[in-house]
Amino acid sequence: MKTKIALLILFISGNLFAQEQKMTAAEIASFKEDVNVVSKKIKTLSTDFVQYKHLDFLSKDIETSGKMIFKEPGLLQWQYKKPYNYSIVFKNGKILINDEGKKSAVDIGNSKIFGRINKLIVGSVSGNMFDDKEFTISYFKLKGQNLAKFVPKDATLKKYIKQIELTFDKEEATVVQVKLLESSEDYTRIVLKNKVINAKIDDSVFTN
Amino acid sequence: MQKSTIQFLLINCFLAIVLVSCGSVTKNYTPKKLDKTSYEVPYFSDSKTDYVYKTNITVYGNEISGIFIAKKINDTVHRIVFTTEFGNKLLDFEISDNSFKVNSIVSELDRKILINTLKEDFRLLLKKEYLIQEQFENESDDIYKSKDGKRDNYLFISKKDHRLEKVVHSSQTKEKFTLTFTSENNIFAEKIQIIHQNIKLKIELNYFKSE
Repeated sequence: MKTKIALLILFISGNLFAQEQKMTAAEIASFKEDVNVVSKKIKTLSTDFVQYKHLDFLSKDIETSGKMIFKEPGLLQWQYKKPYNYSIVFKNGKILINDEGKKSAVDIGNSKIFGRINKLIVGSVSGNMFDDKEFTISYFKLKGQNLAKFVPKDATLKKYIKQIELTFDKEEATVVQVKLLESSEDYTRIVLKNKVINAKIDDSVFTN
Repeated sequence: MQKSTIQFLLINCFLAIVLVSCGSVTKNYTPKKLDKTSYEVPYFSDSKTDYVYKTNITVYGNEISGIFIAKKINDTVHRIVFTTEFGNKLLDFEISDNSFKVNSIVSELDRKILINTLKEDFRLLLKKEYLIQEQFENESDDIYKSKDGKRDNYLFISKKDHRLEKVVHSSQTKEKFTLTFTSENNIFAEKIQIIHQNIKLKIELNYFKSE
């Protein structure tokens, strides 16, 4: 009997300290509400990021870093500064690339997949992806954080991304980490830090 | 009599042109006695190193950029992955001197001719050992000829610091593509170019250490 209780306690506490715990329906509703309130207020957002590319066969993740700037309704700049300079701007249906000074532009007016990527990036960083009907979403609690997992429904998108995981700071209800899983072994993890919300950002920032 | 002399001269001229163009790959080099029978390339040989390069590919005027990753996964096989700057995997190959496997490739790049070209390029890029049959020299380099099926590879080793600077892959008559290496330490190459002579394809790799 004693062993049984001990095992039960161990099981419960083990569960409590487990990394991920499923949210209840009420918790999901309140979490979504928190995030929506915050993301609705976002007019501009800038943040530093560190990107870790994990490939299972490598001995170390490939680390790159830089700055991301977003301005409503659809201006986005993703700028790598280390170890190389590479900047990509999404603007008026175009992608502008500056690769170590070498400039190019791609018209994405008709490219469905790029439109989706743009929406995904903005949605990921602002956290406002819960109404997206293209994903099956599940919700988890972590210590001091919340976690939402998005699985694409569409077969084409699924070929590129198996799952997206957004980690939110519990207090601020903003995204602190984006993880894009390509397969069970390979993923890209982007950690956001030094986030500034609603600072004045000029449109001229989004030129390349 | 005169007619046949002219004919004879014409034929000779024609033969001379054919012979000169046949030997075009080595025509400017002086033959030399063999000083080795094999050559080992250090640049991708360490199984503990992740070889990571920022990459620009120019193909018929179009530019593709991304990250090229190579890792030696056993004695003979290298794994090669090419991703975008965001980290999306575009292709994933396993390659050795006599084996080739496509682990994955995005549908936009899934063309037989492209895969075969990249296979040839990467196989030569990662090749560890060349067996040598002939040797030449010019002012700056020792040049080693290594048979590769029906074709040949010419290895250019600088006389100054004994580093592999160039590999020319060629048929009997003309150069097909060229690899150039820039290496500070002769352990890995900081800068590599793969330039095709018969199609408009250029691949440039710049080594980077992640922070």
